Amino acid sequence: MEEAAPEQGTEVDVGEDRRLQPVTPGETTSGNLGAPLYIAWQLTNECNYACLHCIEESGPGKAFKDELEDDQVFSVMRQAVELDVPYVSLSGGEPMLHPRFFDLAKFGAEGGAQLKIETNGHYLTEEACQRLKDYAVKSVQVSMDGATRDTFNKMRVRGDFDHVLQGIRNVHAAGVPLEINYSPTSFNVHEIGRAVDLAYELGAGSFYTGRTMYTGNAVKTWQMMAPSDAEYGPFFEVLYAKRHEYDGRMRVHFHEMGLLHEMRERLEHPAALLIVLPNGLVKLINALPFICGDLRKESLKAIWSNFQRAWQDPRIAQFVDDLSDNPKKTAELHRWIFV
Amino acid sequence: MKLAKYVKFRQEKFGGVLFETRSEKVYALNPTAAAVVREIQAGTPEGEIPARLEAEYAAQDGEQIGREARAFTQQLREQGLVDES
Repeated sequence: MEEAAPEQGTEVDVGEDRRLQPVTPGETTSGNLGAPLYIAWQLTNECNYACLHCIEESGPGKAFKDELEDDQVFSVMRQAVELDVPYVSLSGGEPMLHPRFFDLAKFGAEGGAQLKIETNGHYLTEEACQRLKDYAVKSVQVSMDGATRDTFNKMRVRGDFDHVLQGIRNVHAAGVPLEINYSPTSFNVHEIGRAVDLAYELGAGSFYTGRTMYTGNAVKTWQMMAPSDAEYGPFFEVLYAKRHEYDGRMRVHFHEMGLLHEMRERLEHPAALLIVLPNGLVKLINALPFICGDLRKESLKAIWSNFQRAWQDPRIAQFVDDLSDNPKKTAELHRWIFV
Repeated sequence: MKLAKYVKFRQEKFGGVLFETRSEKVYALNPTAAAVVREIQAGTPEGEIPARLEAEYAAQDGEQIGREARAFTQQLREQGLVDES
């Protein structure tokens, strides 16, 4: 996941009837799940953009030196298919830069996984979108951190607003479900209403945003980029209004409470989600530095079996507690801790 | 009746899970509910599902299970988890 917005984990909807019960990986049913429900896979750390806020510090020449080889990449997808993991997202870096991106997407889709592609939108040509349509991908999520050329291009260094908008239009024209992601900064926060409107005009079915995280590239750019609390207030007010305005037409989804709140919830109810890094290491959740397995050495099934035990490691609760005293501890997310 | 396009089912030891991947909502299913979904996937006509489960679970109050199957099928429809085919 390249963006500094909060993670879109698996939500739980309980329903009123006892036969529709919640899946909560902590102490209830998800501990009994045979496999994850969702794999968020960062295929490569390479990116053609160098965004000011990138949580992964992706950019040109930023591929990990030890990224998975082709046979390992297909082995991971094969394991996901065999375990009947229903939902796999491919992100990065820029996932479409991976030399086997389309082959892998086709392989996963044919295996029955529903795929979500999280991209900067640069490579969404008509031909590429048609291929994604042919593979029946569940959705393409494009980062559109601005409603104008000026703000978008300032945020997404080396990116071009008009070029990405054309890519977005190609997604919609191909009939692939479209989602838009938006990371707020001090210089685009005022455009949020226009950005939601634009997303709808472009054909999006979902719009995602939240508080920008202090990690990755954002650590270096925080002073010039981070919205203030005074700016976040009207930002979320607009989002509440837009959620109401687009009800039934486009899902406007946002995390208002911030990372600490979300992490405390996850401690109680970890999502049935694994984060796969480009080198095969597996994180419990993107916003924490904890690694629960290595796909170069262990099977996906073995790592999943470690997932529940890993969440109980006291260092995780301690890290979350420390965040309340020192929110800037998120700068350490790339100093991996093996649990 | 069939599962909606963006709904995935996976069998589990406790029954099963339904995952609506557009909204990212997950539903845990008890064994009866999971059996209903398996019948839907197998193409069993909706009207025949209760009778099939009643027969399958005859030793465990098949009539009650048949009623639950009817109610659950209706829930699936109301929540948009199935399409009429």
